[in-house]
Order: sequence, then C-alpha cells, then structure tokens
Amino acid sequence: MDELKRFALEIRIETLNMLSRHGFGHVGGSLSIADALAVLYGKQMRYDPKNPKWEGRDYLVLSKGHCGPALYSALAIKGFFPREELLTINKLGTRLPSHTDKNLTPGIDMTTGSLGQGVSCALGMALGLKVQGKPNLVYAIIGDGEAQEGQVWETMLIAPNKGLDNFIVLLDNNRQQLDGFTNDISSLGDVCKKAEAFGWFVVDVDGHDVAAIDQAIEECKRSDKPGFINLNTIKGKGWPAKEAVLGNHALRGAAFEGVDEALADLRRQLEEMQ
Amino acid sequence: MNYEMFDAKKIIGEVTAAEADLNPSIVVVSTDSAPRTGMGEFIAKYPNRYYELGIMEQAGAGVSAGLATTGKTPVFCAPAPFTTARPFEMFKIDIGYMRQNVKVIGRNCGFNYSDLGPTHFGLEDMALVRLIPGVVILAPMDASQLRGAMRAMLRYEGPVYLRIGTAPIPKIFDDEDFEIGKGFVVREGSDVAIITTGEISRNVFEAAEKLAAEGINVMVVAMPTVAPIDEELVIRAARQTGRIVTVEEHYIVGGLGSAVCEVCAKSAPVPVRRIGVPMEFLSAGQYMDLVRHCKLDADGIVETVKDFVNNP
Repeated sequence: MDELKRFALEIRIETLNMLSRHGFGHVGGSLSIADALAVLYGKQMRYDPKNPKWEGRDYLVLSKGHCGPALYSALAIKGFFPREELLTINKLGTRLPSHTDKNLTPGIDMTTGSLGQGVSCALGMALGLKVQGKPNLVYAIIGDGEAQEGQVWETMLIAPNKGLDNFIVLLDNNRQQLDGFTNDISSLGDVCKKAEAFGWFVVDVDGHDVAAIDQAIEECKRSDKPGFINLNTIKGKGWPAKEAVLGNHALRGAAFEGVDEALADLRRQLEEMQ
Repeated sequence: MNYEMFDAKKIIGEVTAAEADLNPSIVVVSTDSAPRTGMGEFIAKYPNRYYELGIMEQAGAGVSAGLATTGKTPVFCAPAPFTTARPFEMFKIDIGYMRQNVKVIGRNCGFNYSDLGPTHFGLEDMALVRLIPGVVILAPMDASQLRGAMRAMLRYEGPVYLRIGTAPIPKIFDDEDFEIGKGFVVREGSDVAIITTGEISRNVFEAAEKLAAEGINVMVVAMPTVAPIDEELVIRAARQTGRIVTVEEHYIVGGLGSAVCEVCAKSAPVPVRRIGVPMEFLSAGQYMDLVRHCKLDADGIVETVKDFVNNP
C-alpha cells in the first residue's frame, strides 16, 4: 500500500507540475482522482505500457475527461510514454490535450470531455467484452457534477439489466463542480442508495484511502452485479490551499500562486516515504 | 408508372441477417426500435447479438461506439430524428470523431411518419450528419439500391448513416450494385439536370418523362450517396446543362441541395433550384398531401423545372 501512496503522490506532483508550467488546467478534479488512479494503475488493472492495445488489457474510460492530466501522469509514470512529454500538454500538435482522446494518446481507449458520454461508451465496451466471453474489466470514472447529466442515469439503468459484472463505475464525489458546491447547485442526494436501487453493487469509501479503494474494487470484482464505488473525495486534494475551496475547478495564470510550495511539500512527503 | 413494391424494413432485416451470417462482428443495437426497423429475422436468428437498451438514444449512440471499440460492428436503428438530432453530440464525438465502425439507420426519414407530425419528421438529419466530418450518408432510391446500400454499408469500415422511409418502396433498378460515393446518370439530357436522392426520386423519373413529352430534355442524376458527394458528376451535370434542380425529401437547407450548391460554387457556377421541404415546421398530414405541399410530386417538379427553364 505504501507503493500506491507513493504512486498517488507522484501523480499529484506530475499533474501540478505540468499544469502550473503550462499555466492552465483542471487542478481540482485531477487531484481528487489521484488515489483512485494509483490503485487502478498501481495494482488492479492489467495493461502493458509497451503494447497499449494489448488484447488482455483492462479498460479505463475517464468520463470526466477534463481530468486527463492526472491520467496522463499515471500513464507516463507507468511508461506508456516519456515523462517529459507531460510538459507538451495543450501545446499545438500535442498527444496530450486537456481532455482524454482515443485518437491521440497511447493508453487512452475512449475520447471524452462532453460529460455523460464516456460512461455510456464504457458500458458498450463492457457489453462487447462480456458477450465475447472475455475476462477484461471496464472501469469508468465519473464526476459528481457529471452525474447531473441524464445520460449517466441511462447507463445506470442499463448496466444491471444487462448483468454487466465486468463493469465498475467510480464516482469521484468531490462535492464540487464548476459553479460551486454540488449540493448547492443540484444535489445528488443519497447517491449510494440511488445506485443500489438501480441494481448496482455499491461500496462507499474514503476516496483518498488507497487500501479502502483497493478493497472496494476487490469486492466489486467478486459481485455478480456491476460495481459502483462512491469515492468520497476532496477537490484539490494534496494542495492544502486549494482543497474544497471555491474556484479550484480550473486554475489559470496567477491562480497558480503558491504551487511551488505545494510541490515542494508533496516532494518532501514522497522522500519521507522512500 | 407501375413498379413492384417492397417492404423497406424487410429488406433492411434480410440484408442485415444475411451479412451477419458472413460477418460475426455485426450486432444490432435497439432503443425500443429495432423490431420495427425490420430486425425481427436477425433477432430470431441471433438473439445474443441483439441489444435492446430501452428508450435512450444518447446511450444508444455511446454504447454503439463502445461496442465498436471491442471489435463489434453495431447497427443502431431508430426513427431518423432519434438517431441524429437527439444524440447529435454522441454521433459527432463517440461515432464520428473516433471513426467508430458504427452503422446508424434513420428510418421513417423525411415526413414519412406523416401522421405523427414535427416530432417524428426527419427533415434535418442529412444536414446534421453532413456536419460530422467523415461520416458517409446514404439515401437509397429504390428496393434494389436499398439492398445494395445495406450491403455496402455493412462491408464498409467506418461510420455510415443510412436514411430510409418505411413506406412500401418500389423496385426501379434491376442492378443491386452500390458503390459508396458514386452517383449515376439515369437519363441523359441537355436542357436542365435534376439531381435527386432517396425514395422521392421516383417522382423525378416520372417528371422527366412528362417534361420530355413537352420538349424539355432533362438529364436525371441519381445521387444515393450524399456524403461524400460525387463532385465529378455534379460538375459534369452543371457543364452539360447549365442549370441544376435538386430534389430531396429533406429541408432545402443542409442536405443534397446544399451539397450540390457547394460543389457548383467551387467548381462549376450555374444557377441551382432546390426542391425540398421549405424552411418551416410542417403540419401532420397525409403523406401525399405533404409531398404536394412541398412540390415534390411529379407535377410540382414539372412546374418548377418549366419555370426555371423559361425564366432562367
């Protein structure tokens, strides 16, 4: 588990580094999914960075596509492409645009960015794999703001009806969206009960506890239902000044003030763990 | 003209089932819509390759894209507005941008659902899909072409949109060969060229005979692929006749007429008149009344062409 914690720290460091150097990016939601990505790419998912299209791989669809930087960091750390490439984010001709893109990036299997769409595509992948009798799993990460999209609930309805036990949705429930706090805008209510009522196997966890996330995925894998993991997270996690505060969705220019101290702090934590 | 009539839905189902015999990747995605697209035979034969999602076309487009990612060739079929306008963004990104091998069928296109009114008319489907780069648009004109187009679509690698009505469809041509991207000349002529697509074309063929009887020598060009349009043939028609009329059961904006105008503006500027649905919300009504209202019947086409020739 210490290795996963280190991996999560590295994801946060790379993400903050690339976005602050570029001067723009979705910091808050990228930081909130770092621990889930660490568990997925550090332990749970099967993949081959040298052969991203390997048939035996598990799939991740980042339906909240604007948090691509965190996923790119995880992919680079695991060797899908050179770490230096992270600094090309949103530079003309880059393979790393803000939002994850199947057409461009090794290790990305679905283009996302328009909220609600990715999770339907992920379900199609799970269905396609299941009817072929393949053992691959499909994971999708959605945001709590994203869950206001009606299309998300179309997917919530289909997956149990199709018996997709190879499909695990992780809700990055950081309780914030662009305009403010989700509960002030349009609350999801008791999302675990809702998912359960739709027929999912539901686990409610601390989304920054790698052991708990890992355990939740294990339980979902054992279940004969599609899995729904409610990750209770903090938007901006890892940069204390930006945690759970308004305006942390995307930062630009001067809003990155203090990032050097935040990065130094994260690097110190990483060193202490090594 | 008396043609032998066929059930378009039956043809769609028969060809899909026959192609599915040859290609195990073909699957059908339904949003409470496949049986009425004629997929009954396919469903009976391949129940495990038929995915009924319920009434959710946004997910329908996305799930189709996901299935294609795993190597499937999904056929997603529903009434035209519900596979194009409703999930437009999913069509654009999930299917178009990623060039997923998804075949989308918009049935009851045009005002074919005449009793059901504006919610069920598909008068802008070609305009919408034409805005998605790289998606092929097919609008077969008769029963033989529908068979050919279905086969060509299912054997093509990449996203395709096929629009079709579901009223009985005549068999006009014997040839079932269908080459995506190619139009053909049905009748040579020199006074004016009519370029047409879809099932409404039968009225053009009838109009051309009437016009010939009145001494107007009409070139008739069939354009069953609307995107990518056969530019060479449009240019030839423009140069050969000096004026073009387009006929389609679709808004005059964004479909065949617009595509022809774009080619002419670039390569062969000639006057163009577009016959189709005017830019208004049509009332529910009887199909033939709607056809006449839009001057898409043979007499309406004759009237427009004569006016055009006499008042260029």
